[in-house]
Amino acid sequence: MDIQGKRTPIIIAIALLWAAITVLGWYEMYMPGLFLGVILMFLHMVLGVSIKNKVSKKFLIYPLLPWAVIWAVSFYLSDIHSKMFAGVMPDFTILGFHPSFSWTVILYWIGGVLTLTLGFVALKDEWLSEKDWEEFKGKVQKIDERQKGGQQS
Amino acid sequence: MSAGVKFAIIGFSFAMLVVSLLIGLWAKRKVKSAKEYFGSTGLFGPVSVGLSSTAAVASAFALVGVPGILYSTGNAMNFWMLSSAAFAMAYIILGKKVRAMSEIGQVASLGDISDLRFNNNKLIKGLMSVIIFLGCIAYLAAQIKAGSELFNNLLGWSPLVTGLIIFGILTIYTAISGEVGGLLTQAFQGFVMVVAGIIIIASFFIITGGFENVLEVVANAGTVTSGDVSKTFGPGFLDAWGILPKSTAMAWVIIPILGTVGQPQVLTRMYALKDPKDMPKLGLYAGLAHMVVGFFALVVAYGALYLVGSGEIAPLAVADNAIFAYADYLGLYAQLFVYAAVLAAAMSSASMFLTLSGNIIARDLPSAFGKDFKTEEKQMQVAKITIFAIGILSILFSLTSAEMVAILGTFGWGTLMSGTFPVFIIGLLWKRANSKGVIAGLGLSLVLNVASLLGMTWPGALPWYVNVITISILATVFVSLFTKEDINDEKVELVLDL
Repeated sequence: MDIQGKRTPIIIAIALLWAAITVLGWYEMYMPGLFLGVILMFLHMVLGVSIKNKVSKKFLIYPLLPWAVIWAVSFYLSDIHSKMFAGVMPDFTILGFHPSFSWTVILYWIGGVLTLTLGFVALKDEWLSEKDWEEFKGKVQKIDERQKGGQQS
Repeated sequence: MSAGVKFAIIGFSFAMLVVSLLIGLWAKRKVKSAKEYFGSTGLFGPVSVGLSSTAAVASAFALVGVPGILYSTGNAMNFWMLSSAAFAMAYIILGKKVRAMSEIGQVASLGDISDLRFNNNKLIKGLMSVIIFLGCIAYLAAQIKAGSELFNNLLGWSPLVTGLIIFGILTIYTAISGEVGGLLTQAFQGFVMVVAGIIIIASFFIITGGFENVLEVVANAGTVTSGDVSKTFGPGFLDAWGILPKSTAMAWVIIPILGTVGQPQVLTRMYALKDPKDMPKLGLYAGLAHMVVGFFALVVAYGALYLVGSGEIAPLAVADNAIFAYADYLGLYAQLFVYAAVLAAAMSSASMFLTLSGNIIARDLPSAFGKDFKTEEKQMQVAKITIFAIGILSILFSLTSAEMVAILGTFGWGTLMSGTFPVFIIGLLWKRANSKGVIAGLGLSLVLNVASLLGMTWPGALPWYVNVITISILATVFVSLFTKEDINDEKVELVLDL
């Protein structure tokens, strides 16, 4: 996916998302704030994974998109179960946890690691391949040699 | 606690201190240049860097303060402690760019990266250094206070004497071996924390029988009173949000996860990694170590709640004692590892922030004011003296100015984010970020951090630093957008394209 020309709009979106999340926080609108938070992190990672403004589709499909969905679902289910059992002992548990908190453990914590951390290892070349790195170092070397040559002449 | 148990705890903790000292002294051999002394640049593999990153991120607050907050207010803080995916996210966002900066110029400190990115702009380097220094000193003072009070509570030793022994030794090996010794000792201390975590997690299941029993007790215990101290439990205590305003839980998702990429102890480790292609492995090792340490804090808090709710121990007069009350109930093996783990957490973060502060005072700030050292040897000599002086002054300050340390304690994670986001996150992800924008972002960040310290209030229940970070980012982006573009160095352009 080419993000040439989209980098500045993405950065503006990041700044505006920070502003929106802060204002939502002032007014206790935590669920929209959390969903926007997932988008905010997603945009940072899209910029981070890009090489010469190209974002790997494979990396988008896994781990980034599943991670975003898993976290959004985690917050949604936590809130649903928090409201469902407000002020009472839940009539069931998940892995022994309060159902609301179980989604923090299963999806936010373990799900976050299984998508982002393992996906990053599995698709490391989509983030930075040997070829990309060597090409980068080669170009730096050429510039150094040119500058050195320029100084000598 | 019997004299024998106290003796065993002292022996175990002292052994950890001695091993740290020996590692620090051994590490001196690896230091051959300023780049290695100040930054460990390109020196280590993912295991040592991963363990050291976790240890530096998980301060004494993570093991003492967090269980205290969980004990008092329920689960909201667990969003922070279970943020193990944050390392991978940080490296995906910025890992290759920060590491690549060390290929295009001399990088041994965060100030060096700022210089490369923004054409040696002294104001950017100066402002960023001052903000990071504020955050570092706050963290450093808090670690010294926590580590010293640990043995004061346990043995009744003077905090000043304890502080001078523990952190005096730490200051010596950090000054001698710089970041190389700092990173290796932090890796060892991270390992101690992980081992302690595994033992305490296993013991939690033996003592409580599992999470369902804890939930049952917490939901039904009502109010438990002993003497003047009461603890009120309730069914909502262990839902995802706990009993704090839910916007606080929201902030405790976004700030630790996204904020990890803006922590100096994470940024500096990106260029300490020998092979940048090992960055995913680094994310894995740091993430796994963090999973153990995060879960460690969770089970300690749950264990303390279970013991108080079921009447096994009295309600805690001080919530921060949750970890010690729980360890004391478990017995000698838990006490040995818990006290060592808390000391390890305090020492690892202290050495990290000591070298960062030393680098800023001896390297980044003088250079921001146009003072450069003639030789690398001279610069390292000045840094050693500076680290030693900061170490001793911090010990004296932390243990004699309790009120000021408490005020400074509000600086930390969020302050460091507001000082690094304009330069590193916006600066390295966006070519259009220019020096005017970054100066505006950093200038506002400095003013608002200090104003908040002096009592400025913000709307809503969000932690104050969220507002400061947001304003700093908005200023950086929009001032850059509406002012003339900087001309970037062509090698910097290559990094930004990577």
